[in-house]
Amino acid sequence: MRTALILLFLLGAGSVVGSLVPQIPNSPDRVARFQVDHPILGDFYRHAGFFDVFGSWWFILIATLLFLSLVMCLLPRTRAALRSIRQPPIQAREIDAFPQYAERTVTAAPELAIDSSERVLRRRMFRVRRSEGALAAEKGSLREIGSLLFHWSFLLLLAGVIYGKGTGFTGRAAVVEGQTWTDGAANYDGTIREGRFFSGRFTGVGVHLVSFEDTYRTTGVPMDFVSHVQLLNPDGSSAGFADLRVNHPAEIDGLRIFQYGFGWAPVVQVSRGAQVIFSGPVAFGQDQPPPGVPQLALPWNGVVKAPFIGAGLGIQLTLWPDSGAYVQFRTTGQPVPMTRAIHPIMFFTSWRGPLVDPSPRFLDTSVLQRWTSGAVGEGRTCDLATGACWRAGSRRAGARELTISFPSIRQYSVLQVSRDAGVPIVLVAAILVLVGVLPALYSSRRKVWVRAEPNGKGTTLRVGGFALQRKPQFEDEFSKLVDELRRASEEIRVS
Amino acid sequence: MTPHELQLARISNDLFDVALFAYIAAMLGYFAHLAFHRDLVWVASRAVLILGLASHLGAIVARGLAAGRVPWGNMYEYSTLLAFLVVLAYVVIVEGIFRSRALGGFALMFAVLTMAVAAEFLYVGPGPLVPALNSYWIKIHVVAAILGSSLFALGGGVLTIAYLVKDARERRERAEPAARILPPIMGASLDVSEPPHYVPDTGEPSGTIDPSPRRSGILPPSSVLDQMAYRTIAFAFPIWTFAVIAGAIWAQQAWGRYWGWDPKETWSFITWTIYAGYLHARATAGWRGRRAAVIALVGFGSLLVTYYVVNPWIAGLHSYRGF
Repeated sequence: MRTALILLFLLGAGSVVGSLVPQIPNSPDRVARFQVDHPILGDFYRHAGFFDVFGSWWFILIATLLFLSLVMCLLPRTRAALRSIRQPPIQAREIDAFPQYAERTVTAAPELAIDSSERVLRRRMFRVRRSEGALAAEKGSLREIGSLLFHWSFLLLLAGVIYGKGTGFTGRAAVVEGQTWTDGAANYDGTIREGRFFSGRFTGVGVHLVSFEDTYRTTGVPMDFVSHVQLLNPDGSSAGFADLRVNHPAEIDGLRIFQYGFGWAPVVQVSRGAQVIFSGPVAFGQDQPPPGVPQLALPWNGVVKAPFIGAGLGIQLTLWPDSGAYVQFRTTGQPVPMTRAIHPIMFFTSWRGPLVDPSPRFLDTSVLQRWTSGAVGEGRTCDLATGACWRAGSRRAGARELTISFPSIRQYSVLQVSRDAGVPIVLVAAILVLVGVLPALYSSRRKVWVRAEPNGKGTTLRVGGFALQRKPQFEDEFSKLVDELRRASEEIRVS
Repeated sequence: MTPHELQLARISNDLFDVALFAYIAAMLGYFAHLAFHRDLVWVASRAVLILGLASHLGAIVARGLAAGRVPWGNMYEYSTLLAFLVVLAYVVIVEGIFRSRALGGFALMFAVLTMAVAAEFLYVGPGPLVPALNSYWIKIHVVAAILGSSLFALGGGVLTIAYLVKDARERRERAEPAARILPPIMGASLDVSEPPHYVPDTGEPSGTIDPSPRRSGILPPSSVLDQMAYRTIAFAFPIWTFAVIAGAIWAQQAWGRYWGWDPKETWSFITWTIYAGYLHARATAGWRGRRAAVIALVGFGSLLVTYYVVNPWIAGLHSYRGF
């Protein structure tokens, strides 16, 4: 047990590291920033696995050793417990040597006194073994059974976790209002984390985001986030509508779909003359806010790439969903949370050159040449080269003129999608842990022996006993038991 | 907020202040009782304590009515509820079950500090819940977590510190068993033949395995304190286990995974392992007594981290900032 205890503490110590150092699965951005800020320490952390403690070889090794040590402890204990349950209580030789001992004289004959004592003990849920003029009784084996159940349940828990995580996956999907997302390998934007034994088969079910609503109180405190979605079967037929809220996921084909996040997705159109080069909503992201600044006060960033314009054209976009907030921030320096889109405005910086970074969200500007910059409001079109803007449709662009338009703004919803078939096993194991811990902590093993020996007038009832746990409480229980045994023998005479 | 709700919020704050001052007064009273052993002082302190508890309960209820929801939706509310439950647990467990009066001042000190920190640094007006917390699991998970925490704070914190102090003193006395002149307290010289400290017939529990012939000191014997600490922690452990499990079920519903090593999850797990270790240590030869108590104390420290460090300082899903 001492080995298991030390391993348990080591596991706890490892978890402390995992909670203090940013973790790749929880916050990859902070890990990246940490590595930039502290290159040497970051290198050490990376090699030591501190950026992913709970998936690191040493954490898994400690956990494995802990479970191994647990099993080694449990096997002999279980065997012993099974044996002691099957075995009737053992008679004792000298019962007056036990911590609790009492003698009472009763008038009933020894055989009858033993009869009635046996009845009393059985009524009190003791297991009783009877031999000539003597009883051996035992109670509280539930303590050991509970303790064993508690400990074995952790192995079941582990099995459920490994099965569920191993055969399942979890990923995130950004769906823009009006668009449909399909469960498929390519549709998780690289956020998918598959279990080691994942079959690789996706269901093909779809989620059509009808609309997303985020509502706030006047104080800026969020009130509700809800995605109104239509769930689609793999063949495209409707599987019903659902409102995804925080705390209210939807389930289809073993997939659970959760409301995870949201953001702005302005519709951007890049054209050369009348030819549309790029058109559609672009999901924008945000940086981490500096301390004290609300997340929603930050502008949103996105990228549009047009690799076939000249050597390549990349446009960095910065969206202020509320242009009033932008003006206020510029004039007073006060960051203002932007909870709604009110005359949104987008600043653009365009770059020319080879687009080496394949990621749709980032633009590697180190090899690019800065070209132009400007701002485009909702419903307007700008000339990328000159920055001149006009209301969309009010002027026709020249044949070679590159333009950027911002016809409308939509929102996107980030859904977390996961499959975990181990959840029911884990739940059962957790319940068994609780069921086991209660008797393991609160019940106690007690042993009692009774002898009835004839004396001149009647019978001397000799009672001895001891408790392995909760000894002070047993003193009390014992004296009550002795009283009851005496009374039971007296009542025989009366009837 | 309607004027009605504003008024309720104000009433809640006033009752909170009344409770805080009552606790401070009762704390001083309990310490005075320790020093002078006047029964009347104890009776008065206890009356003030009960008044404080009633006022505190009123503050919590008014807060819930003002916000129109359960009154445990942010750090300020957790802290005040935690303090309330620690005092309540003290009254029920230490005074009610163990019949000891010596530790009231220490339990109240914890409550007073918690409330002072809550009022000074964590106060926010009553408001609605952020969506992440808006689930019926808040009633189950958070109640279990606060109840478990308050019992750990009492058993692993207050009672364990008292045990360690008393144990150190008993060790010292065993090391130098010769009659020793007690230092005068507050200038008064004391009669060594009858130290006015631990009086067995004041309803205090008597130690069973106290080997020193002369009972001394103002605290109950270390064996009694050890039992009190152990039983309180053994009571808290299944509740904490349940809180962690309920939290996992909630996390499965809210975030799509039952366990994600979020800082709060991680620290509640750390606290759990430490107290699991404590319960095992007590059953292992060589770890009983002082070593086990140190483990319990470390668990208390971990609990404080879980509460006061994780939420504001370590970014995670339990920071309750919304998205």
